[in-house]
Amino acid sequence: MSAAIAMPITRRLMLKRAAQLAGLGAAASLAMSLAAIGEAAAAEARGEEDYKALVCIFLMGGNDHGNTLVPYDPANYARYRAIRGAISHRREDLAPTLIAPRVPQVLTDDLRYAFAPQLPRFKTLFDGGKLAVQLNVGPLAVPLTRAQYESGNRALHPLPPKLFSHNDQQSVWQAGGGEGASVGWGGRFGDLALSGNGHALLTCVSAGGNAVFVSGEQALQYQISPLGAIPVKPIGEPLYASAAIGEALRRLITEPRPQHHFENELAIVARRSIEMEGVVNRALEGVALRTSFDLAPGENELADQMRIVARLIGARRALGSRRQVFFVSLAGFDTHSDLAIKHAELLAKLDEAAAAFYLATVELGVADKVTAFTASDFGRTLVNNGDGSDHGWGGHHMVIGGAVRGGRFYGTAPHVSIESDDQVGQGRLLPSTASDQYAATLARWFGVGEDALRIVLPNLGNFDRANLGFV
Amino acid sequence: MSEADPAAAPAPAPGAGPGSAIGAGAIGEAEAARFLLRAQFSAPDEDIEKVRRQGYRAWLEAGFAAPRGQSPVAWLDAQGHDAVRADLHYFWPQAGDFMIWNQLLAQPDQLRQRLAFALSQYFVVSLNAIDGYWPPYIMAGWWDVLAGGAFGNFRTLLERVTLNAGMGMYLSTRGNAKEDPATGRLPDENYAREIMQLFTIGLHELNPDGSPKRGADGHPIESYGQADVTNLARVFTGYDHDMRRVTRRSVAWQDTPVVSREFCLDPMRLDPARHSDLAVDFLGCTIPAGTPGPEALRIALDHLFVHPNVGPFFGRQMIQRLTTSNPSPAYVRRVAAAFDDNGEGVRGDLKAVWRAVLTDPEALAPPDPGDPLSGKLREPVVRFVSWARSVGIGSENGAYRIYELSRSDTGLGQSPLRAPSVFNFYRPGYTPPHTAIARAGKQAPEFQIHDETSAAGYLNFLQWAIRWGYNDVRPTYAALLPFAHDLPALVSWLNLHLAANQLSPATCRTIETALASKEVIAESPDAHKLDLLASACLLVMASPEYLVAK
Repeated sequence: MSAAIAMPITRRLMLKRAAQLAGLGAAASLAMSLAAIGEAAAAEARGEEDYKALVCIFLMGGNDHGNTLVPYDPANYARYRAIRGAISHRREDLAPTLIAPRVPQVLTDDLRYAFAPQLPRFKTLFDGGKLAVQLNVGPLAVPLTRAQYESGNRALHPLPPKLFSHNDQQSVWQAGGGEGASVGWGGRFGDLALSGNGHALLTCVSAGGNAVFVSGEQALQYQISPLGAIPVKPIGEPLYASAAIGEALRRLITEPRPQHHFENELAIVARRSIEMEGVVNRALEGVALRTSFDLAPGENELADQMRIVARLIGARRALGSRRQVFFVSLAGFDTHSDLAIKHAELLAKLDEAAAAFYLATVELGVADKVTAFTASDFGRTLVNNGDGSDHGWGGHHMVIGGAVRGGRFYGTAPHVSIESDDQVGQGRLLPSTASDQYAATLARWFGVGEDALRIVLPNLGNFDRANLGFV
Repeated sequence: MSEADPAAAPAPAPGAGPGSAIGAGAIGEAEAARFLLRAQFSAPDEDIEKVRRQGYRAWLEAGFAAPRGQSPVAWLDAQGHDAVRADLHYFWPQAGDFMIWNQLLAQPDQLRQRLAFALSQYFVVSLNAIDGYWPPYIMAGWWDVLAGGAFGNFRTLLERVTLNAGMGMYLSTRGNAKEDPATGRLPDENYAREIMQLFTIGLHELNPDGSPKRGADGHPIESYGQADVTNLARVFTGYDHDMRRVTRRSVAWQDTPVVSREFCLDPMRLDPARHSDLAVDFLGCTIPAGTPGPEALRIALDHLFVHPNVGPFFGRQMIQRLTTSNPSPAYVRRVAAAFDDNGEGVRGDLKAVWRAVLTDPEALAPPDPGDPLSGKLREPVVRFVSWARSVGIGSENGAYRIYELSRSDTGLGQSPLRAPSVFNFYRPGYTPPHTAIARAGKQAPEFQIHDETSAAGYLNFLQWAIRWGYNDVRPTYAALLPFAHDLPALVSWLNLHLAANQLSPATCRTIETALASKEVIAESPDAHKLDLLASACLLVMASPEYLVAK
């Protein structure tokens, strides 16, 4: 798809979106979004760059937050150790990654936290004010106490659907509903940004597999490989076939097939793949990125994904990209067993990949225009099940970037306890901050208007604050 | 279609025996090929002929009774993968991939292999997460459970799945210890949750036709809660690998002796001292405190097995794996009924389920050209294996060194026994957003792994593999070489054997015209003919009319 034909399509979609929003009484916010795009054009005319990207780092399987951000002060460490036993980090291993807020903060029970020993770069980013920690965040329909949770009165105290189930909670985090939800909040942000981008299809991009997070009402998810866009070789390089066979193949796979929806969808994907491949790979050729993503080359799949995202950001001018939402993922966090070993390996990958990505944004001159954040199915139990932990609910998450008000904690630290009222048993955290608030904070930075926020995150109005302030 | 409509024959009662074969002789070759490409990977002429002569049911019965191919364990042993070598071969996973590719590509018991592959996407163990000693044997033991149990009873299979060494590692039943009041440690809930969510009853109470039951508030009724999981988890405590048959061999290159591979194959063993003695109260079933482990397991599995959800939950997914993404509620109900009762009062007879899925009138009715949502997207593994078995492959040394092919950019985009999680390669309820499929409210699970990258990667993988094969595994095209120069005959052969004649005349013409550019004649050298044959397969297998099996 060339820029020339992409623009009319996105304008048409934009108008459709405008009509939909108008029907919902939110035309004003859309007008604000459009105005923002106009301002952006003006800013660019003055030689300032208008670009913003959000990058969702999804930790597939439910990150064990308890061993990611670890109580360090003696009293709380002792509680942690007593509950976790054999899966605890050793306290002496935590000293190098102890973090102290830049402006002193008093947390619950005078908690002091250290990052896991595998997150030394996270500590550096935190100390440098480029990383913020959002404590105990998770899906909530309404603010909830433990008594309300246990009351069973779901009319009065509704819960997010299907708590503790992987596939559903992945979907709830990404799209606000259980498995089957088709529009993610990253995609909805993308809907508002489509018309500002040279290639509408590059508004919502996943390098981490099929993810509802980057599927909007209009915005399509474009999937890219860590290697870049993949050409259909039999068309251009027929090898043992022939040019005529290559051409026949192109026709067979791309021709519209209105008589069957599945067949037609295959043709649509093929056309998208072929059309974008040339555009994307040509633009990527012009990107020279010196930042190293791989201390152990080829062994960090998250770093591979984040490198291609950085390269696409590097190609933003060539592609005419102004607002982009990316998705990357790292699998393996379902640490029911072997937690100590497996979780440490995963965090080391996360540390390396996310820190390299931040450095790449510095190299590209967009550190304050790119914000990365973690998300996961759920947090896990604090209780040890032998050599692992089980499915939980709330967890701690990290926000990284030059625009982040980092070096401090946001939200309420949970007690280190399996009995307190901020957990619902076995140390499953009852979120004290809703993932919708977390999303709204990122949305506001990204440029989503106030009223549009209420549509994009329908439960947001149930919570006192829509801006947590971390970015 | 010129043949008589097989669906016009009286519909068989669910679970009816072989005597009720649908009117033999009324089955056309395209219908036979279509049936065979669902029941197994390929549609060899002799099978087409058998189906036409004997009918669907009789062919199935013969397949159920056919001898098993070489077992995965025997194959690994024969290939020398049991060797204790200084290169630490016994820790390598790769031979697990070689093993499963050999099973799918080369073993003669195709029906069993295909249905076991369907089962492997319902009961999921992935080699990705298997480490330690002898990962290939762990997967061989697992494949033996699925392939060995494919024609048995669901209840038996469920128990073998539960106690399998690989499943024990994958969903962490292995080493799962009872609660410890002193430390507050609790049993691992992993298997207890997934056996309910994925292997038996699912999240919602279901009607017999697979639709969710709804409460007074209009919402689906959840079938279990966290307390059920926490309770059931106690049943799965106390298990670990059975090391009784294991021998230990001291070697010069490592400090600890190398253990032999029997623990991979034997069911996990219960250590009563590590089994929870607490009472279990789940889904309305109470297992009294102090019930011995084996008895507790029996009660728990029996209770799950008789849950009315299992038939529609399992049955609908098997329909989706084998015939269509969007079965009617009536089709699901008929398959669930066959699960509930095979006609002889037996619940969970898998043969009855396969009969019901594969010979349901809805499955056998000719595809309606006016239905834009019929059929299903063929998945990459099935495309590849179907091609290989159709055109003929051989291995110069029998090694089947085909590695994991999961990568969507450089591989096939899917690899057997390599699902990314226990949630399989795709979810049964997946709907690709922004599509006519979504607007129609329909599902298309396989589209979850079809995207801009995998669409291209698949064709690139094919381009190479269908001409030159993969390592020692090479296509022979033996049956096709003699008439490679006869393009109408060639395309017609491929259309029947790969696509059950679902390529339209227009597509066939496009393919023939393109192939004519190769100017192959009867006297052309074989290499030139092979170029043409690979080109022909590439075009067929790229066609949406092939990719969507209707």
